[in-house]
Amino acid sequence: MHKHATSRPRFLNLLQMRYPVGAIVSIGHRLSGLLLIAALPALVIGLEWSLRSEADFRQMCEVLWSPWARGALVLMIWALAHHVAAGVRHLLMDAGVGSRLPRARASARLAIVFAVLCALAAAAGWRP
Amino acid sequence: MRVFSGQVPWLLQRLTALFLIAALLVIFIALLFGVLPDYASWRAFVTSSHGATIVFVSYLAVCTHAWIGVRDVLLDYVKPLPLRLLLLMAISVLLAATAIRLLLVLGAALFV
Repeated sequence: MHKHATSRPRFLNLLQMRYPVGAIVSIGHRLSGLLLIAALPALVIGLEWSLRSEADFRQMCEVLWSPWARGALVLMIWALAHHVAAGVRHLLMDAGVGSRLPRARASARLAIVFAVLCALAAAAGWRP
Repeated sequence: MRVFSGQVPWLLQRLTALFLIAALLVIFIALLFGVLPDYASWRAFVTSSHGATIVFVSYLAVCTHAWIGVRDVLLDYVKPLPLRLLLLMAISVLLAATAIRLLLVLGAALFV
């Protein structure tokens, strides 16, 4: 595919490449999606655990809110918030809303900030 | 009609996304209004035929969405075909295993 490109300079230094805000949201969308998939076995096992008995249900709730699990929970809430925000942005663009560059950049920033705020709220112990 | 490539997965990805956004909204609003379930109501919901159906259909939507998402990522980053198919098979097995486990859990809770 790139046979003609052998004589051209390649620039693949990931640290020096520039990432526009839209690219960061896009990478984050993929990364958060993979994180959420990684959590699916735990989700099913958690459901199983919560149905076993009242004591198991209580124990699961306690473990879920313990400082040990808090880190994982905050990460997952970030992943879910980012994935949903980036996904809504994607769906709106499919419908032709906000696909021009200035608005696309603004919504990209909004998605990133929204997800970080959700993660911070979870880290601070806020529950809806 | 191609099922695993072309328009069908593209459309399925968006339909499952809309469904899951709606489901998350319902859960979030319920939590906002303080509907944190205790064990009895949680078990009663999940083991009712409606509740179990909602949980399982939602999980199938998650699996469909996840499979198509992984397929999209693999198409971009994994070029060698055998490796791509291997990873796709691995994720399929993982998703199917969790879905079957969920089905068994729900079945056990429903009928025992």
